[in-house]
Amino acid sequence: MKFDRNIIPTPSPVSLFTVPEEETFKLENGLQIYHIKKSELPIVLVKVVINSGSKFDPVDKKGTFNLLSMCIDEGAGKFNSLELSEQFDLLGTSFSIHCNSDNIQLTLQTLKENFSKSLELLSKILIEPHLKKEDFEREKRKILTRLQQLKDDPEYLANVSFESILIGSQNSYSFPVLGVEKNIKQIATGEINDSYKNFILPNNSFMVVTGDIDKNELMKVLKQNLSGWQGKSFNNLPKLKNKKDIHKIYIADKKDSVQTEIRTGHHSTGRNSEDYFAKHLLNSTLGGQFTSRINLNLREKHGFTYGAGSNFNYYKDEAYFSVYTSVGIDDTYNALKEIFRELNDIMNGVTTDELNFAKSSIVRKFPSNFETYKHITSNITGKIIFDLPDNYFIKYIENINSISLNNVNKAAIENIFPDQMTTVLVGDKDKLLKQLKSDEFGEVEIYESE
Amino acid sequence: MELLNLKYEKYKLDNGLEVILHQNKNIPLTAVNLWYKVGSAQEKKGKTGIAHLFEHMMFQGSEHVAKEMHFRLIQEAGGSLNGSTSFDRTNYFEKVPSNFLELALWLEADRMGFLLPALDQEKLDNQKKVVYNERLERYDNQPYGLAWELLITNLYNKSHPYSWSTIGFAEDIKSYTLEDVSGFFKKFYSPDNASLVVAGTFDIDKTKSLVEKYFGDIKSGNGVNHLDLTDIKLNETKTIVHKDNVQLERIYLSWLTQKAFDKDDAVLDILSDLLAGSKNARLYKSLVFEKEIAQDVSAFQFSGKYGGHFTIVATAKPEKSLDEIKSEIFKEIEGIKTNGIKPSELKRSKNGIKSSFVFALQNLDTIADHLNLYNFYLNEPSSFAFDLNRYESVGKEEIINVISNYLINPFVELRIIPKNKIS
Repeated sequence: MKFDRNIIPTPSPVSLFTVPEEETFKLENGLQIYHIKKSELPIVLVKVVINSGSKFDPVDKKGTFNLLSMCIDEGAGKFNSLELSEQFDLLGTSFSIHCNSDNIQLTLQTLKENFSKSLELLSKILIEPHLKKEDFEREKRKILTRLQQLKDDPEYLANVSFESILIGSQNSYSFPVLGVEKNIKQIATGEINDSYKNFILPNNSFMVVTGDIDKNELMKVLKQNLSGWQGKSFNNLPKLKNKKDIHKIYIADKKDSVQTEIRTGHHSTGRNSEDYFAKHLLNSTLGGQFTSRINLNLREKHGFTYGAGSNFNYYKDEAYFSVYTSVGIDDTYNALKEIFRELNDIMNGVTTDELNFAKSSIVRKFPSNFETYKHITSNITGKIIFDLPDNYFIKYIENINSISLNNVNKAAIENIFPDQMTTVLVGDKDKLLKQLKSDEFGEVEIYESE
Repeated sequence: MELLNLKYEKYKLDNGLEVILHQNKNIPLTAVNLWYKVGSAQEKKGKTGIAHLFEHMMFQGSEHVAKEMHFRLIQEAGGSLNGSTSFDRTNYFEKVPSNFLELALWLEADRMGFLLPALDQEKLDNQKKVVYNERLERYDNQPYGLAWELLITNLYNKSHPYSWSTIGFAEDIKSYTLEDVSGFFKKFYSPDNASLVVAGTFDIDKTKSLVEKYFGDIKSGNGVNHLDLTDIKLNETKTIVHKDNVQLERIYLSWLTQKAFDKDDAVLDILSDLLAGSKNARLYKSLVFEKEIAQDVSAFQFSGKYGGHFTIVATAKPEKSLDEIKSEIFKEIEGIKTNGIKPSELKRSKNGIKSSFVFALQNLDTIADHLNLYNFYLNEPSSFAFDLNRYESVGKEEIINVISNYLINPFVELRIIPKNKIS
């Protein structure tokens, strides 16, 4: 067949895609339910999100809520820790608990036929966890060992030191979710029990159910199992103070490291800011994709790294912009130079081609963000956590398309501040100091973590 | 389970390219997944890692596609893409909105048929640096990151192609020349050494003619000789101690076992789950939960076309000894061999595996890759139900048999211990 291979094939007409929509209702105990019916496979995915993340950790007790999340499924109802785990396994249900800065999430994925039995187990964990002292002590020893282990992990060290320095100790978001070693040692069973009583409550949580189950059937199972979950929470987040950005380089020494982990960034406006979509498109060009400027420069042009990029990072009550990469240690100075070059360049704006590319990529990718049960559930979860409008996903493509070149270029000027970047380098101190002889990217300071 | 009987159509182009089509119209997406039957096992000594480096070069443009355009065009279409290299094969995959299927086929065909005219020294030098950094990031600078390499280099004898890792040795990565790369392409990257899966939403007839249009006139290769290996054996137990930037000591015990889909392969998978796959698994319960001598424990059966091994890994709690952990591990294995396992233990594993087969059907990339995987190892793309049945038919006697057949043999013991501890 003769044809010209130089001609890029054009797409056939676009297929129709409708955003899966959730139905919402409230149980009598105050728990809000979001239900998305999806029936291609006999699967149900359930996620309970509880407003009880590590940002609520008391001062000097950093690590409390993560420990609660580790203890809460160590026995519940009539089952002890091992029996409870066995029950889930026998159903073939995967169950996990995860704590982050904002909340604790309990997730289960089950075959339809085992939905009600799995939900019964989940409800026992929410309503009747044992939180026994011996289980608590074991989990505490486990997390202390884990923290010791993480001292070897350059990526973890870079992320944790960067947030600690950037956000500052007056703001509870600056502490690692897993907690602080010397604090954890001081946490007692009583505090875990109190945190459970004050936080793990229906009006402080919501539940997303995605899968092959009817609304009526779902309501019946939920009423049967969750009616006993009662109580109200009145928790206020301690005041979060914002630290001023400091233009400095902090070196966290990791002797014998063959690479440098680089993080650099500054505070930014939150998830609900008006220019969110402009920032999203801006970052897509700067560092949000493989073909973004930062990765093409550091990886494809210079070969400094296996990968590099940038993000606007959003927590519920905190946000920052950052660039991340890891490079061969001898390339650290050159990599920093290229990162700052890209940051300064983006202030001059992006091109129409770049904007069109970013739009096209985001708009056309949209349906694939709803491919799996997990995708759908986490989209809904994000929408609720950040108080986004009900029709957020329905309006999404329209919102992206409405952004002009001016909007993006304004977003660059208003959201990227190269001379305010706080930089953290994790690597071999001596080799790094040799390369950083001037204050080109900020004054250099050696960082001693606690 | 009817759900696992995936319908497909398989045929061959004149040039030898195998094509497998599977429709699944749940969402307007189409996955394109291409397996080349070449992995690090086909590499020569001194040039290890070239199959993986080559995977990188496949993204550097071809005669009709400029550097970076492969990424750019797929991303502009809203698709996702990647590739990966293992001992046995290299795969390349795109998932695109269905109306961009032709774009993905055009791109894959161009690098299958027309890669060499676009290859140059500058691209090679750049990707050698990227891959070298990948090695640093994912292996050398990772705690315990060299364990896999240390295990396989000691477990398989020097002439066995699984005795080096797919990333390759650092000095080898630096040594590749343009001749190495183009020689590798000519030998292995031809339609008769590949299979193409299209899965998702698409029109069958139209897709067949597009596949013919883009791939039909790419020339066949000269045929690839498959490796002829005699049975492998480890004659005596080896102990290796390696110092690394770690805080906690870790022990690895590894035995040579069976190839992928061989008689005992699935039994060994279940054994790994019985030992370490859950809180109630024998080793987890004993080492981590009750005695608290280990922080974590895991077990897995790795199997490929030319061999396999079964590995148990445990990290010691601070101040706890690897000797104690090791003796507990052998005690638990001996316990199963002597007293067998309870029906509930087997049920636990099997139910988890059954669910995971259903959960895996959510993702089009996973489905497409599995059609290729089953086609490669079993010559039957829709082997999901067959595969699940391998697990469901395992009985307790077979568990005891695999312990007697493999886990009493000589093994490799690797200990990774702290270079310097941080207080």
